[in-house]
Amino acid sequence: MKKVMYLEFERCIGCRSCQAACRECGGHDAKERNYVEYIDFFESRQTYPMMCMQCKDPACAKVCPANAIQITEEGVVLSAMEEKCIGCRNCTFGCPFGIPKFDFEENKMYKCDMCYDRTKYDISPMCASVCPSDAIRFIDHDEMMELRRRRTQMNLIEGKKPSQNDKWQYVPEFFGVYSD
Amino acid sequence: MTEFVTKPGVKNLQHPGEKLITTHCCYCGMQCGMHIRLNEKTGKVVGVEPRYDWPVTLGKMCPKGVTAYQTIDHPERITKPLIKKNGEFVESTWDEALDLIEKNFKSLQGKHGKDAVSVFGGVSMTNEKCYLVGKYARVALGTRFVDYNGRFCMSSAAGGFMKTLGIDRGSTLPWPELEHTDCFFMAGTNTAECHPTTIQWLWKARDKGAKMIVADPRETPTARIADVHLDLKAGTDSALANGMMHLIIKEGYVDEEYVNERCNNYEELKASVEKFTPEYTSEITGVSIEKLVKAAHIYGKSPRSVMMFARGVEQQAKGVDNVTLYTSMALLRGQIGKFASGVATFTGQGNGQGGREHGQKADALPGYRKIDNPEHVKYVSSVWGIDPSEMPKAGVSAYEMFDEIQAGNIRAMHVICSNPAVSAPNNNYIWDSFNKLDFMVVSDFFLSETAEFADVVLPASSWAEDEGTTTNLEGRVIRIRKVKDPIGESKTDWEILKLIAERMGKGSFFNYNNPRDIFEEFRVASKGGKADYSGITYERIEKEDGIFWPCPSEDHPGTPTMFQESFGTPDGKANLAAVEWQEPDENPSNEFPHILTTGRVVFHYLSGSQTRRTDFLMEQCPEPYAEMHPHLASKYALQDGDNVYLETKRGSMTVKVKLTKAIREDHVFIPYHWGKELSVNKLTNPALDPTSRMPEFKVCAVKLKKV
Ligand code: SF4
Ligand code: SF4
Ligand code: SF4
Repeated sequence: MKKVMYLEFERCIGCRSCQAACRECGGHDAKERNYVEYIDFFESRQTYPMMCMQCKDPACAKVCPANAIQITEEGVVLSAMEEKCIGCRNCTFGCPFGIPKFDFEENKMYKCDMCYDRTKYDISPMCASVCPSDAIRFIDHDEMMELRRRRTQMNLIEGKKPSQNDKWQYVPEFFGVYSD
Repeated sequence: MTEFVTKPGVKNLQHPGEKLITTHCCYCGMQCGMHIRLNEKTGKVVGVEPRYDWPVTLGKMCPKGVTAYQTIDHPERITKPLIKKNGEFVESTWDEALDLIEKNFKSLQGKHGKDAVSVFGGVSMTNEKCYLVGKYARVALGTRFVDYNGRFCMSSAAGGFMKTLGIDRGSTLPWPELEHTDCFFMAGTNTAECHPTTIQWLWKARDKGAKMIVADPRETPTARIADVHLDLKAGTDSALANGMMHLIIKEGYVDEEYVNERCNNYEELKASVEKFTPEYTSEITGVSIEKLVKAAHIYGKSPRSVMMFARGVEQQAKGVDNVTLYTSMALLRGQIGKFASGVATFTGQGNGQGGREHGQKADALPGYRKIDNPEHVKYVSSVWGIDPSEMPKAGVSAYEMFDEIQAGNIRAMHVICSNPAVSAPNNNYIWDSFNKLDFMVVSDFFLSETAEFADVVLPASSWAEDEGTTTNLEGRVIRIRKVKDPIGESKTDWEILKLIAERMGKGSFFNYNNPRDIFEEFRVASKGGKADYSGITYERIEKEDGIFWPCPSEDHPGTPTMFQESFGTPDGKANLAAVEWQEPDENPSNEFPHILTTGRVVFHYLSGSQTRRTDFLMEQCPEPYAEMHPHLASKYALQDGDNVYLETKRGSMTVKVKLTKAIREDHVFIPYHWGKELSVNKLTNPALDPTSRMPEFKVCAVKLKKV
């Protein structure tokens, strides 16, 4: 899998199609694993999607005492293995982004697995497939880098100013897709 | 015909034991492409797979589209005819139900004349069915009273386009060209929530530097991403458009050559916008002068622009005027009939475009023909095999049908694919009218609020249980494929119409065995009309990714871009609009001090009959709410989540308050997808546009009280 997930938060229109689609993925038991949040509905309708960062050295897996969180050869961090997960919820606290969800009825963790049953065939995950605003994309690494440079380029051409009513500034910058 | 249509090199996930069937979403006019997953063993629909290679939507879907399949095998589907006995619905056989319909239709028509029975249609169904509804009313029932829910949706756009351009095709350009547009002027359209899959095209253009101007009283998710948000007062569109044209003329942005060659009325327009200085426009619309000037410069300077609008400007008592004025803005800039530029309305219903062209409208016949034109009547009569003298005269518009019920002229109604008990304005009047009917039949696949009033409910098929064509918001005719057989004893709408026609002794005119038979007849019926489908075949649609009408012959490529050479008016020239600004029918007063406006949310579709039965969508948005600015709320000591009582001259309701600064301080917004006590249409104003007979859903005066 040479492709990456590319998020452009300010494009999010809050439709939650990504969440509806997440439920549609084969192994997802009709439960969504991604999040869409308002930044501050009092101020603006700006929303942003959040999903697993598929960390290189995932805290969730590291803090799991039962070794239930497997990492595929492509680097996808999977949901806890049913037979191993002891329901301690360490992963939900360990993850710096608050991603893993906990199923209290089944007493086990579940999380975004980048639609592994699709992406292992290089087919786009459900959320990125349907996102009507291209806020979530599943693209080549090179294309992602080009898009990042494009941003700066457009800002230079236009004389960098956020357009009216934009609340881009609210978006936490440590997600790293911003050149400004 | 192939069930699964895909282009070489496109990968889809094929689950073992399942097959994929290619079709389009059942909801809005985007008609997003999708594949439905069918379990081959159980025959049940199990999910959806993106159709990455559908050129209009590229696999994208909104949450309604993703979950659309869940309504097909839904546990609440009506699977048998229902007859109301002692106020309760009882399951019955088709024969019993048809007997009852035959008996009542015949006796009421015998006593009160043919027009005593009426038909209320809808456009969330295929062209084949929409075409048949018109024929069913005129030939099988012989009534002049037929109209459809497009009067609550598209009719002002249609009326406005007819006036200015001579042909009503929702978009003058194909959607994929939007990528190359330099400026989008979007009025009264919350595209991000109502036609979300368009947004990808806007971003593609904006990545290249395109600008976006949005006129809306709310800072919707669409307005939020605009370069200029013209936060106008609801109902002041004609002033805004006149003000923009004033500036376009003053600043020398008019394409004089285009206007001289291709348009009438330029001098009149100039005179009528003369007084709309930014100061005057700002005073009426409430938009700051600075924003008006900025928008005019951006729009005026853009080499390629598209003027886009939707229900916000159309659902007004001056809806047609608004459409003609905004269209004139595009004409002044010489934009219509060219690459990546033009004018477009966002068709609300799945087949809002196709459904309004083929004779479901009180005054229309197939192919956009007119019932008051003897030549048109003669032609359509010849296709139908009736004598022109048998063709009923024009009826009245959807809302006016309820006046006819109240007056005792309409005694029975057959409602097909529509839910006016929720979607019509002034609900209390509508409900009272239904109760006054002697006999009411509803064809639907869920027991809608309207169906609850019926004497007989006929179980219709869902969109995935029949095949046919629809026409999307671009004017592209596309294929809906059959995924599975109708559930239980339900039947397709065309079979139902055929069965009733047989009972009325008109079976020989409805001799169809499948939708294709109807399509073939309707190709002939539309031939030579403005919306000419005669060159379109199911095979061509599949091969050519849909075909744009007009398409007058099988070797004609179809018409993606309209009006390249001339317009559809008798002299081939567009008619610029010289229209005065007029205030809305109802304005804030001491008693009703605020403006109420209504609209959609992304999670629901129209009257909500389907989306309110879909778990994911209901989890996101279970009930209506009154959205208002904290400044307005604080005048009534209302806090987020408090209950507020709202009242207009026509009705009242209580809902929760949702506070946001992303709305004008003087407006309250309530979404309209709920019925009964949760229906905001109890409050809305039925003042009709004089041409399109479109009610003024978008503006009325309201008072608030904390409860
Ligand atoms: S689908 Fe895209 S636009 Fe919609 S909520 Fe998810 S990220 Fe946002
Ligand atoms: S769940 Fe959290 S810690 Fe684990 S891989 Fe995802 S983002 Fe990283
Ligand atoms: S409702 Fe409209 S935008 Fe949403 S998936 Fe269906 S056709 Fe597409």
